[in-house]
Amino acid sequence: MKIWLIIAGVSASTFLLRASFILFADPQRFPHAFRQALTFVPPAVLAAIVAPGLLMPGGTLDFTFANPRWIAGLVALAVASRMRNPVGPIAAGMAALWFLQWAIG
Amino acid sequence: MPTLLGVVPFGFVAGVAAVSAGLSPLEGVALSVLSFSGIAQLIVCQLVAVDSPAIVAIAAAFVVSLRLLMYSAAAAPHLAHLPLRWRVPLAFMLTDQSFATVVRHFSEPGDRRHREWHILGLSLTLLVTWQACVILGVALGAQVPASWSLDFAVVLTFIALLAPVVRTRADLAAAIIAGAVALLAAGLPYRLSLVVASIAGIAAGMAIEVTRRHR
Repeated sequence: MKIWLIIAGVSASTFLLRASFILFADPQRFPHAFRQALTFVPPAVLAAIVAPGLLMPGGTLDFTFANPRWIAGLVALAVASRMRNPVGPIAAGMAALWFLQWAIG
Repeated sequence: MPTLLGVVPFGFVAGVAAVSAGLSPLEGVALSVLSFSGIAQLIVCQLVAVDSPAIVAIAAAFVVSLRLLMYSAAAAPHLAHLPLRWRVPLAFMLTDQSFATVVRHFSEPGDRRHREWHILGLSLTLLVTWQACVILGVALGAQVPASWSLDFAVVLTFIALLAPVVRTRADLAAAIIAGAVALLAAGLPYRLSLVVASIAGIAAGMAIEVTRRHR
């Protein structure tokens, strides 16, 4: 039962956030500072997800060469900053990870 | 449709995560079909796996989904002329990937008529691909060998989404501070580190923006 409550709550909140300005409110009516803060949400949230994914694969901070993920992540970041196509960083990052796992392993 | 390639492993991993967290196949697919948000699905699965209270899982998914608020604000002026029967489905299908792809069409000059059909086609393609991959992940479960490190494709998907949204020095500050705080606060329960890190990143971006304007 609890899981269905969670599914309902999460689905309602994602839809309301998506619909917020498209269905209910004109963004121009909100103060400039609020709209400014909104523009920083994607870089902040995405970076907050990426950083632990690269540097804490086992749950603890691992900045050593035994952890190939941050190196593969740097490769992907370098590719991503040069091309808009998302296939590049994903392919390069996976290739780098597999290579490093093979080389270290 | 290069964006689709990023969606395939991400959807698959989200499906696997659901069954690994103890959701039944029906619950895993329902979560995906109704919420249609990969990040929210992954966070929910992580929290359900450690038996968090429902309100904690919902709140965590809400915070990571605040991105959608920004996408909604950016897309709203371009959709305002459409009737509700268009805006409701287009709003439901608004995702990181659809926004990243569609935002380019908004800024292009030229014929604005029938642009909604283009957005609808793109969003539907993403939706169908996503749900198919989630169902595949739910069906295959943990049969994919861990040595393939498919979960890393999810992190890479976010790197591919992150790079284009970092355009100014203030965006960069927001990303770096949020990333650093996420690492420092990782010990907090219930993935609270994500909340703290996001707020710190937004504050850092605002601080840079304010000092820049006062110079």
